[in-house]
Amino acid sequence: MPEFLKGNYKVDVKIEDKADAADSTDEFEKRALSRLGGSICFVSKKSLIWQGDGEKDQAKADGAGTKDR
Amino acid sequence: MELGRKIAEALEAATFERVAGVGLANAEANHPRIARSVLELAETPLGAGDAAIVVGAGPSLYRRRSLERLRDAGFAGTIVAADGALGACLRAGVVPHVVVSVDPHPERIVRWFGDPTLTGPRGDDYFRRQEMDPTHHGDELAANRALVELVNAYGPKIKVATATSAAPAVVERCEQAGMDLYWWNPMYDDYDAPGSLSRRLWEMNGLPCLNGGGNVGTAAWVLTHAVLGKPRIGLIGIDLGYAPGTPYEKTQYYPELVELLGDRHREAFIHTVHPVTRETWFSDPAYHWFRDVFLEMARGADCQTVNCTEGGLLFGPGVTTATLDSFLADAAGGTTRHG
Repeated sequence: MPEFLKGNYKVDVKIEDKADAADSTDEFEKRALSRLGGSICFVSKKSLIWQGDGEKDQAKADGAGTKDR
Repeated sequence: MELGRKIAEALEAATFERVAGVGLANAEANHPRIARSVLELAETPLGAGDAAIVVGAGPSLYRRRSLERLRDAGFAGTIVAADGALGACLRAGVVPHVVVSVDPHPERIVRWFGDPTLTGPRGDDYFRRQEMDPTHHGDELAANRALVELVNAYGPKIKVATATSAAPAVVERCEQAGMDLYWWNPMYDDYDAPGSLSRRLWEMNGLPCLNGGGNVGTAAWVLTHAVLGKPRIGLIGIDLGYAPGTPYEKTQYYPELVELLGDRHREAFIHTVHPVTRETWFSDPAYHWFRDVFLEMARGADCQTVNCTEGGLLFGPGVTTATLDSFLADAAGGTTRHG
């Protein structure tokens, strides 16, 4: 709980910081999801192969897998 | 939207989270060993003709006896196998020209090449549980010993298209078995974007970046088309799904789905009827994503991709379906008729 919200009294219930809880849930989901991923990335809308800047213009012109050798 | 499809939509980013860090670390560790680019494979004599077969490690390999039929047909074209299918190939008497390996996992993948250091069952139940190579379900150690001998015997005849992300243990094992290594970078992100990791990797080692499609089987297809230049590619063992009757507990990502979804994990599985066999196969979010990605890539590719698995879930625009026998007959006759 942020310091400026604390008063000079005590409450019986435990108040959870929702922002922290949300962060924690997001982090758990992110970690769990990453374990469901594949063994190699897929980059959408890019060519099947990229050989550096010499091919930049050709690769840019290609959609995924379009005559991209 | 079904839960499984919803999760699948998040897997492009999730895969980056999973593999980028360890993949780049492995690329640095492997750097001193890099001697050849995968582009040299295009100039290397492999199989004859325009046709190639890409071998994945899916259950149809066993259900349809695809490898035995490939062997018996005397296919003269190029054979490219995913690392997980290497053992099945060698046991069936099929020696692939090229094996593709990409997964950066530090311990698991070396087992596909036979792990000479394995002296007892590991705590990791992956090989006892996975559906890809049932040989490992029983006596893991005996299966591993037999594979070590097979890979040692045939290794010098096999070329490995190794991603720089591969675990150093895999690289060491391949070199020990006399395999020639040809290197490439996985494409991690948009090479035109500011701060691109793909570009940084290319600047470090000068190797081409391949868009891997999420899994090693798809990466093998990419290599066969984009590097080897094969215009006719037949697929076997690339099911991208689980065969009817497979228990959920025996699926690739079962523990992870239970951890993520708890009691709702069953909702993540997606069931689909195969249009030809009428069998109901199913996928988890990962396989569903692999399938969508493969179809997206195949739709734009300047090659014929023929699914000869006679099962699985890989069908749709960009991929035609044929029996393995008809593909092999066409390849032998040099014709181009499919489907």
